Amino acid sequence: MPIINISDFILIILSLIFIYSLFSIFNKNKKINFIIMLLLLLSLILVSSYLFLLSTNILILNLFHIFRFSLFFISFFSFLFILILILSFEKETQYFYTLLSLVIIGVLLIPIANSLITIFLALELISISTSFLILSKNEYKLESAVKLFLLSAISISIFAFAIVLIFPYNAQLTLTNIINNNIISSNYFIELALILFIVALGFESALFPFNFWVPDVYQASESNITALISGINKSVAFVAIILVLFIVFISYKQLFSTILSVLAILTMFFGNLIALVQKNIKRLLAYSSISQAGYILIGIATLTQYGLQASIFQIFAHAFMIIGAFSIIFWLQKQHNLNTISDYKGLSSRNNFAAISLTILMLSMAGIPPLLGFYGKFLLFSSAINANMLLLALIGILNSFISIYYYGKVITAMYRKTRAKIISFDKQALIVASVCVFIIISLGIYPQPLIHITQIISSTIL
Amino acid sequence: MLILNQLISQFLSNILDICILIPAIAIIFIALLKEKHSRQISILSTGLVLAISLFLLIYFYKIGNVNITNSILFIKSLNINFNLGLNPISFVLFLMANIILFATALAGNVHRAEQKLSSFLIILFQISGIGLFLSLNLFIFFIFWDIGVISLFFMINILGSPNRRTASMKFLIYEIFASSLLLFGILIIYFYTPIHSFNIQKIITNSNLIPANIQLVIFVLLLIAFAINLPVFPFHSWLPDAHTEAPTQGSMLLSGILTKFGGFGIILLFEMLPIFKLYSNYIAIAAIVSIFYSVFVLMKQDDIKRVIAYSTITEMGIVLFGISELNNFGLFGSIYAMLSHGLIIALMFLIAGSIELIYGTRSIKVLKGIVKNARLSAYCFLIGTFAIVGMPLTTAFIADLLIFIGAIQSFGLYGIIPLFAILLLGAFMYFIINKSFLSTKKYSKNIDFIRIEQKFVYFILLFFIFLFGIFPFIILKLLNPI
Repeated sequence: MPIINISDFILIILSLIFIYSLFSIFNKNKKINFIIMLLLLLSLILVSSYLFLLSTNILILNLFHIFRFSLFFISFFSFLFILILILSFEKETQYFYTLLSLVIIGVLLIPIANSLITIFLALELISISTSFLILSKNEYKLESAVKLFLLSAISISIFAFAIVLIFPYNAQLTLTNIINNNIISSNYFIELALILFIVALGFESALFPFNFWVPDVYQASESNITALISGINKSVAFVAIILVLFIVFISYKQLFSTILSVLAILTMFFGNLIALVQKNIKRLLAYSSISQAGYILIGIATLTQYGLQASIFQIFAHAFMIIGAFSIIFWLQKQHNLNTISDYKGLSSRNNFAAISLTILMLSMAGIPPLLGFYGKFLLFSSAINANMLLLALIGILNSFISIYYYGKVITAMYRKTRAKIISFDKQALIVASVCVFIIISLGIYPQPLIHITQIISSTIL
Repeated sequence: MLILNQLISQFLSNILDICILIPAIAIIFIALLKEKHSRQISILSTGLVLAISLFLLIYFYKIGNVNITNSILFIKSLNINFNLGLNPISFVLFLMANIILFATALAGNVHRAEQKLSSFLIILFQISGIGLFLSLNLFIFFIFWDIGVISLFFMINILGSPNRRTASMKFLIYEIFASSLLLFGILIIYFYTPIHSFNIQKIITNSNLIPANIQLVIFVLLLIAFAINLPVFPFHSWLPDAHTEAPTQGSMLLSGILTKFGGFGIILLFEMLPIFKLYSNYIAIAAIVSIFYSVFVLMKQDDIKRVIAYSTITEMGIVLFGISELNNFGLFGSIYAMLSHGLIIALMFLIAGSIELIYGTRSIKVLKGIVKNARLSAYCFLIGTFAIVGMPLTTAFIADLLIFIGAIQSFGLYGIIPLFAILLLGAFMYFIINKSFLSTKKYSKNIDFIRIEQKFVYFILLFFIFLFGIFPFIILKLLNPI
């Protein structure tokens, strides 16, 4: 009998989630569904953080590479999924759990992927199940679900095409071997493939020219699904970008650095400038989340370990900020039908907790110290200056300044004095929002642990 | 004896941490406890730190110099330390900040409205103000700067008067623009000094190794950031609006402490990049323009708070003028001017707040015969006016004396030009006093109901104004130890 390694447990738990997704279709008891998912995710967190401490570095079947980078992201994403689960507890149909478990598998496969096929499959799993998740509640979401479905189908085919373009050179799909770095110095097809990869993943992570689906989808879907899309799907797309670019295309780094810095500048300006005129709070956050993607790109574009560290830090910060914000919006929209900024007038006198947490989350997004978002931006801009990209840093800082206007607008609206009826608490949103706010404040006051961890994991990539 | 000295030095090295820890603990208590306790906690917190700073004043006066530093490792991975320290310059501002913070906590909230929020924001600003003047590290300097801006933004935005929204947004946009420039400048300094460090002392010793064009970039970025905060003429327009709409405690902190961040920053900037002392003439010209502009605009104002707000721009212009003289007289004079201006302006805004409370208006045309109803406030305002203009026995006199001696040393007789602006300021302030405070022709019969602790705060502020005015050597001995 072969000995089971601890690192195999990650794959075993993933398969368990797969098997569970079959049963969850027939299981109508939401509590049992919730508890099973929670236990599986918690065990994943435990196993991966244990392996992280052991600094594991194992290849499984050449398809999966389990190392500190992937272990960090597995526990991080599992934690985010627990937040999403809590948020949607008893508010969704049973199919929610089936679809969500498929998304979980897709998301968790990407950090451990060592092959382009794995990434391809995972992306497909994520995007198809996400489109159905948008649809699952009622028919009004049809348009945005179809939009997302079509666009992700196209982006995945682009991804497949890109794989086709580079496959013939070595006839291998393992990330490290797909391009033989010695032979090819500048090859037209490989450069084309690189651009196609960026396009395909740019759809998922909502970079500038490929992000027109974002506001519609964010606005149309329920806010817990929006939190999933903006918090997790976007972060995992960035993980895929990091893996593909830094492992496969490392010999083309000058080219992708140029492309990514241009995309970063366009994405930041696009997100921030359009967010200035938004009236709907979900659209505003959608555009702000687009601009956050631009900031994250800055770090990747610098090509340094410090920049990568900054990007990972910002991915972490952004996920908690956006999930916290959408959890509050979910509560306010679903139960009290607050949609636009003018609906948010006087929120502080109606429910102080909601106003204070939204304020803290938005200040963190705007990069005000001592909150987590500030350190993300600080690391990103300093990495750009460190790599002698002064212009990129300047534009980033300028954008960060622009963003204060629309966050300030929402905050100002929330603290107007009005007489309206008090908003009752919602337990799930309360838990999720307080977890996010707690993380943002505590890691904001003492960021050393997170900076240390991101430093370690960025050194495993570069 | 040696052991005793060691104990004292041990205590002194931790005292700076304690100064930041006290408000940090207080803010948690305010957030957790009920509203009725929050005012006491804020008074306790500011009072304790004031007591510590007065103790330090006596201690430093005895030993004759100011020099304590303390450093804790903050972010190990990036090699950022939590450097705190006091030198003569920062100690004077630290002392001033503590006096004003105590005064604000005790009397600032004249309406006694939203005690919990108000106390919370005062203590948040206390962390910022104390931390900023104590910081020896540009990174934590920036963090404390932004905390101060945000706490005052909320103070205007939530507690201010009806038109507060646009004013607070304007304040936020100006100040965040300044802090963005500041952040950019700090990052450039960090990466272009050969030893990558945020420590101000290390930057000062290594700044000549930064390439010249980069030095120019840094200088321009930081100068604009500090000029917005100070404020100097083209960047000043946030200040009058913010002051008019801010609650009394907000105005006191805003004018008393926040504007000093910029002054302190410019002094640091000249220490860090001494090359740019060549261009100090241009800064002096900008300061003179700002002084005259604000005085002329001030004459058209009808709102007492707006008048005081514009006088802030005048005074801060004089501070900038003093710094640009680049001699000891100018430097000490401008630090003294910041001390004096902080104390006086806090007093003036507190009085303006109480007059608004009593009469329900701040318009100079409407207010008549304050001296009949609110005698104490009227006389304190009178003394404050004299103090702004620089009457002997008050701190402003010492400040102006030092600054203009320095000006004549540096610029010759041209240095006297800003003095005319002060004369104009004095003339107009006297006009206001005559028209609304002292005139007894037609006066309304409002009753003076300001609280006893508010009167006590008048006394505290006046006490320090006269203490440092009559015995300037207390401060000057620290600034210039012989």
